[in-house]
Amino acid sequence: MEPILLRARDEANSRSISTYLRLGGYGALKKALIMDPSAIREEVKNAGLRGRGGAGFPAGVKWGFVPQDSPKPKYLICNADESEPGTFKDREIIHVDPHMLIEGIIIASYAISANTAYIYIRGEFVEEAEILERAIAEAYKKKYLGRNILTTGYDLDVFVHRGAGAYICGEETALIESIEGKRGLPRLKPPFPAVVGVFGCPTVVNNVETLACVPHIIERGAAWFASIGRPRNTGPKLFCVSGHVNRPGVYELPLGVTFREIIEEHCGGMRDGKALKAFIPGGSSAPVLPADKIDTAADFDAVAEAGSMLGSGGLIVMDETVDMVWALENLLTFYAHESCGQCTPCREGSDWALDIVRRIRRGHGRPADIETLQRISRYASQGMTICPLGDAFCGPIASFLNHFGHEFKAYINAAAPMPEKKLPVLPVRSGRGTFGL
Amino acid sequence: MVTVTIDGHEVQIAEGTNIVEAALKAGIEVPTYCYHPGLSVVGQCRICFVEIEDQPRLVTACSTPVAEGMSVLTASERVNEARAAVMEFLLENHPLDCPVCDQAGECYLQDYSFEHGLDTTHMVDERRTFPGFERRLIGPHVVQNQNRCIQCTRCIRFTEEISGTGDLTMKSRGNHSYIDTFNGEPYDNPWSACAADVCPVGALTVKEFRFRARVWHLEETPSVCPGCSIGCNVDLGHFKGVVYRFVPRHNAEINGWWMCDYGRFLAESLNARDIEQPARTGDQGAAEMSWSEAIDEITRLLSSDSEVQVVASPNLPNEALFLAKKVFADHLGVRVLTPVYRGENRRMKNGQRQWIANVDSHPNSTGARLIGLPIGDQDALTTMLGSSTGPLVVLDNHAHPWLQTEAAAEMLKGRPVIALGRTHTPLSRQASVLLPLASWAETDGTYTSSTGRVQLAQRGLFPKAGAKPASEALLLLAARLGLEIDPGLSPRALFEELAAEVPAFAGMTYRRLAGEPGVPALGLEEVAHVG
Repeated sequence: MEPILLRARDEANSRSISTYLRLGGYGALKKALIMDPSAIREEVKNAGLRGRGGAGFPAGVKWGFVPQDSPKPKYLICNADESEPGTFKDREIIHVDPHMLIEGIIIASYAISANTAYIYIRGEFVEEAEILERAIAEAYKKKYLGRNILTTGYDLDVFVHRGAGAYICGEETALIESIEGKRGLPRLKPPFPAVVGVFGCPTVVNNVETLACVPHIIERGAAWFASIGRPRNTGPKLFCVSGHVNRPGVYELPLGVTFREIIEEHCGGMRDGKALKAFIPGGSSAPVLPADKIDTAADFDAVAEAGSMLGSGGLIVMDETVDMVWALENLLTFYAHESCGQCTPCREGSDWALDIVRRIRRGHGRPADIETLQRISRYASQGMTICPLGDAFCGPIASFLNHFGHEFKAYINAAAPMPEKKLPVLPVRSGRGTFGL
Repeated sequence: MVTVTIDGHEVQIAEGTNIVEAALKAGIEVPTYCYHPGLSVVGQCRICFVEIEDQPRLVTACSTPVAEGMSVLTASERVNEARAAVMEFLLENHPLDCPVCDQAGECYLQDYSFEHGLDTTHMVDERRTFPGFERRLIGPHVVQNQNRCIQCTRCIRFTEEISGTGDLTMKSRGNHSYIDTFNGEPYDNPWSACAADVCPVGALTVKEFRFRARVWHLEETPSVCPGCSIGCNVDLGHFKGVVYRFVPRHNAEINGWWMCDYGRFLAESLNARDIEQPARTGDQGAAEMSWSEAIDEITRLLSSDSEVQVVASPNLPNEALFLAKKVFADHLGVRVLTPVYRGENRRMKNGQRQWIANVDSHPNSTGARLIGLPIGDQDALTTMLGSSTGPLVVLDNHAHPWLQTEAAAEMLKGRPVIALGRTHTPLSRQASVLLPLASWAETDGTYTSSTGRVQLAQRGLFPKAGAKPASEALLLLAARLGLEIDPGLSPRALFEELAAEVPAFAGMTYRRLAGEPGVPALGLEEVAHVG
């Protein structure tokens, strides 16, 4: 496939606006600004562009939820909080082609009649924030941003808002709270951000990669975009491959390519010729899949059918040397640390599950622990929590136990008994008061 | 209005009401921790899960508004399982130190664990603790034990939304998040102890009440706060004749769910008693006597030739003030003044989150005015007292702060003073006749708040020693003076006479006042909207 999102990867000075213009950049914007906003929404809907942040919700449909008759200002937020372990694609887009993202933001803002857009970028992305600031300044200078863009009468301001480095702020309502200057705690839904979002106004939150696709859809048409990939799973996708492969990195491939192709052809196979044991297909919160699912097509529906989710496209590959109990402990350490602490099942469950898995790995597991872990994963997910962070740590627990339960059992069978706590021995009174016993 | 079905019971309820309130209307309690009717909804404790028929997922009852035709199951198998799971999560790190926890008995963790929890736990690991936060005085009145906290944020929302001071906050993240004061400043605002009231567990407790009594011993009598003219509704907690505390009692029109610290901590002062028997102070010093001897003595003093004056008290209930007017102003025709002190500025937020400011420092000055007793400030009081050397009746030795001073005693030296009181003031020590007055907790009576609400405060205890409520003392006196009034009238019957005579109280009875949250006095509609 010809590179689309990463087309400028090999260009010298790819971040500058002159390179972007030379490659035909901002052409889609010129085309879009003379279109009706509803026509843009329709085009993106027809292209079948599904959100690249994790949930895979159709972007055009999401834009359609914004009440166009609302007297309130509308906002577009670009979610560049990329904090899912195993995901590093948004960073690549910002590094390679920040103007592609900015053009996408302008077109999307126009499509939902927003005059202000925020790029919420995670605090650790210092360099990326600077890249974006520079690119935005360039775009202002060339009149692609600001008052009366390209003399069409459309105004748009874009601000880069840096987060403070919390995983939860990648959840769209927590992100909105964070932009408002509050603790990043997810909100109760409904109302959804499209109706009540940032500052109480209609808001659309889209991932960097989703927005970067938009200029291409406008420029080359929905039919072209829909021709890439498979039905209902269209377009190019950036796969972030990490773990035990020979060439980890970001690969741009059409949706629907198999994981075998990604690992064996693009990443040069497994490192040191070891055998594949398991892979996590969509960032650390996606349930793990065993090696025999390697022929699954990497698209939203096929991965869901295989019992996981494509998520952000962060493919974590584990070879036969990986201790799955350790791997789960590693993941849970992250989630216990990043749970916001707002709602009970996630706050208590994430830490509790970590305690148990850590104890199992340290050789003090108990047979009942498996059941307790299953119980936690059942009751901290599936709508029991306010936001999907509950599912994010319960999916791994359930899938690790499901596919690699024998490794946990092996640990438990070899375990030393838990160090016994000495209970104080209370003196037993005899004689009177014991009812003649 | 919409019609919803809750566990098979049909309920008519306003649109937009949440399922918790709708279920309550059907007589079904949905357990809640973070939800409090007076605070915003955050839906984060997850105990209030209910099932809506034909919806795949459970919903939180606190954050889900009712809709026409909705059918809710509050005790289905799925709901019970989810609640048991949430209970287990909540108790997983809870220290379970119930035997030494002062919240025991009024702890929602205990109640809902009993009702919805598992009878066992799967937890074998070490519990999370917050070293240094187990017994921390975070302000003048509130003690924090973070180990017991369930992070429901009710206290934080109280300071943000009700007191408006924003002094409590959540720090850190996840399982290690804890309540702390903003900037580490002491948690001090005029309503600070309400944060302990809203705490559903033993994480925040009131310093003054901690370990004074076990709450299951306490009997709670509906009463009204004696602290000022706002008239917050309280429950008087008492056990074996001792008052232990006030806790706010909900009244949407006056105090919502709240009360101020000043009023709350008046409770234990109701136990103080110096004056136990009627006494005369003469040349031979103080000598106890019986009530009938005292009434004889008072009658003798009142028949004096020089001008008799009466200081009524805006702290006394409507019944006593009504009798005072009948006996002194109408029958004897002597001068009566109700001194009112307006020194303190107190505020309270009602159930609609509107501020009510107090007008004066007395619970019943509005009642005195409605009954027709003249009202005056300190100047009026001293002017009146300076104008005569005849006998003086003081219906309450704490009626006005000035009356409690040495200066007042000095000014009235040598004058025959008939005083009623519970604790001594310089004036009562030199009174010719001293009568023991029943405390607030020992008196049945109605009080009229500054917003014109007539409210019933019920007696929780019997008067100690020889004390009597002012109305009883006045009835004895009225009978001796030959008024046509039954000396055995109860406050309830007395109030009915009052309601028949004073138009502002028309149609009111104890029964009605006990059932309604503050009946507005007639003709006071304009005042009723103050604030």
